[in-house]
Amino acid sequence: MSVAVMKTKAELSFAENFDQVHEQLPGSPAVKRARQMAADRFAELGLPHRRIEEWKYTDLRASVKDALPVRVGDATQMTIADVIVALGPLAKLDAHRMVLVNGAYRKELSSPDQLAGLELEDLASVLASGSEHTEGLISLTARDADAVLALNTAYMTDGAVARVQAGARLEKPLLIAHLRAGREPGFTAHRNVIEVGPKASVQIIEAFVSLPGAASEGQSNAATQITVGDEAKVAHVKCTVDTGEGITQLSNWMIRLGREADYSGFQLTQGVSLARNQIFVAFDGEDAKLDLSGVFLARGREHIDTTLVVDHAVPSCESRELFKGVLDDQSRGVFQGKIIVQQIAQKTDGKQMSQGLLLSPDAEFDSKPELEIFADDVACGHGATCTELDKDLMFYCGSRGIPPDIARGLLIESFIGEAVEKVENQPTAEAIMEFARGWLAKK
Amino acid sequence: MLEIKNLHVKIAEEDKPILRGIDLTIAKGEVHAIMGPNGSGKSTLAYILAGRDDYEVTEGDILWNGESLLDMEPDERAAAGVFLAFQYPMEIPGVAGLTFLRTALNALRRKRGHEELTTPEFMKLVKEKSAALNIDIEMLKRPVNVGFSGGEKKRSEILQMALLEPTLCVLDETDSGLDIDALRIVSEGVNALRSPERSMLVITHYQRLLNHIVPDKVHVLANGKIQRSGGKELALELEESGYAEFGEKAA
Repeated sequence: MSVAVMKTKAELSFAENFDQVHEQLPGSPAVKRARQMAADRFAELGLPHRRIEEWKYTDLRASVKDALPVRVGDATQMTIADVIVALGPLAKLDAHRMVLVNGAYRKELSSPDQLAGLELEDLASVLASGSEHTEGLISLTARDADAVLALNTAYMTDGAVARVQAGARLEKPLLIAHLRAGREPGFTAHRNVIEVGPKASVQIIEAFVSLPGAASEGQSNAATQITVGDEAKVAHVKCTVDTGEGITQLSNWMIRLGREADYSGFQLTQGVSLARNQIFVAFDGEDAKLDLSGVFLARGREHIDTTLVVDHAVPSCESRELFKGVLDDQSRGVFQGKIIVQQIAQKTDGKQMSQGLLLSPDAEFDSKPELEIFADDVACGHGATCTELDKDLMFYCGSRGIPPDIARGLLIESFIGEAVEKVENQPTAEAIMEFARGWLAKK
Repeated sequence: MLEIKNLHVKIAEEDKPILRGIDLTIAKGEVHAIMGPNGSGKSTLAYILAGRDDYEVTEGDILWNGESLLDMEPDERAAAGVFLAFQYPMEIPGVAGLTFLRTALNALRRKRGHEELTTPEFMKLVKEKSAALNIDIEMLKRPVNVGFSGGEKKRSEILQMALLEPTLCVLDETDSGLDIDALRIVSEGVNALRSPERSMLVITHYQRLLNHIVPDKVHVLANGKIQRSGGKELALELEESGYAEFGEKAA
């Protein structure tokens, strides 16, 4: 039985926008074909809605009302001083910067020098060149059925295509800065493709930030693929920190880990109306380590969803997840953590924890841990908590003269601190805490 | 001066009265001890002074230097000089002891109209006060009270008291869980704070603590009321006879 589903306004707009702009989107003929396939795929799937299990708590069909105009070849006037303002605490990092404004790479705003051991190109050039990278990009996307990723493939304009050479230890983090600027609200689609060679070591930071005075509305669709080579070490951070009132971000991380790889990923999400952060991790080689963590801060009617799928497809790997949400007013946090331990994946060591801190009786935290274990010799556990600020601790602070607003800040910082501590690089962890403090101070 | 007048207290959202008409006056510079059996309402009295909202005052008042404490939030009471050393000091994971101390001290200084301390000034002060209490500064870099032994927690309470310089110190069973050496250190810390400007209310189950912190007056609290008051010798008498007398009288 098939049921004809009415297309929503947003779905129709996404299709119309594609017809209008696809000629201007970068890419060789092969890329253009892949884009068309992805657009068709999206048209077929539509926006995910609550009747689809994975999207039960985050109904895009209901919440995405319209598609904003697509940003192609943006030329907003900007200076490096603007970039520094937009990056906020991340500007202090001694990092190799790649700057994109409204979805387009801006060479003149990026670090001019090269980083030893890193080959870095912009996605638009790579797509146009039809180089070997393109093949990998298309093949990976084509077999993926996710509607959000299909939308990304259809529209992707720019991003970082990076290759860290085998054995290279990058002295500075690579900071991929996605800036939202200008009064015109728009839709941007970024794609980063990163390959880390065996025994290499790198820190990658993605920042999604906006300039003061940027349109209060915006839609971004971001996808990052990282392949971590054998014995390589990657620290990956995403900071989505906006200040608008109608900001939507749909993001995908697709991570593959080689033998004895060591990958840690952290996501900070705040100041967005609607976010869906999807993380997919596949273990390709034995004895690899995965550490995923994150902090999400929401107020008003904001909705932040973290959905991850970790696939233990080989034996003897370790995975850790720790996600913490602070939810005020009528905001909603969602955490879905699926850990698959395949039959062959003996000696898997997995632990997951999600914790919500509700600052208001109307806030909501939905947490769904899912463990699918097919192997018999494993150590796996998960936990989820949802609490209010500890009244006794508030009293303890008060009895020492600490006023309630400062006590609240102190306790919230300590709550999220446990997750932020997972970020090994101190300056980066400090920048994350500074973003979070900025959010707290706004109340 | 602390004046507790006909204080009646019950647990919020319950009807059970805990304190049934307490009258107690502590003059400036005096140290009073409150002794009593378990469940007599000693800790409730301590909490109600500090402003814990699990309790409800149904009658009476608490005046501190002529002002009612009951209208004040806990942090306002602290600014007015009230300090409660907890029987069970709380652990705050993720907040370093030094951060906590500095936040509290500077919040109080602001409210009392003093300049905030700079980091070097603050560190100098903490080092001086913690040395007197035999507290290693490394311990204060760890989260507040997390993983501390019973004795360490109590010493850390007294350190807070020494730093925040209250004028009304309420010590709730500060001796519980302390061995003899720790008891001596803590008592010395408390005695060092005795001054003509500072009033103290020492709550304890045992007379032992009062050998170290010698009170001006001793009160027996049982069944929510002060049953007897006297000099320091009353504590010794209780050590002999126990609290049975008061239990019976109340029943």
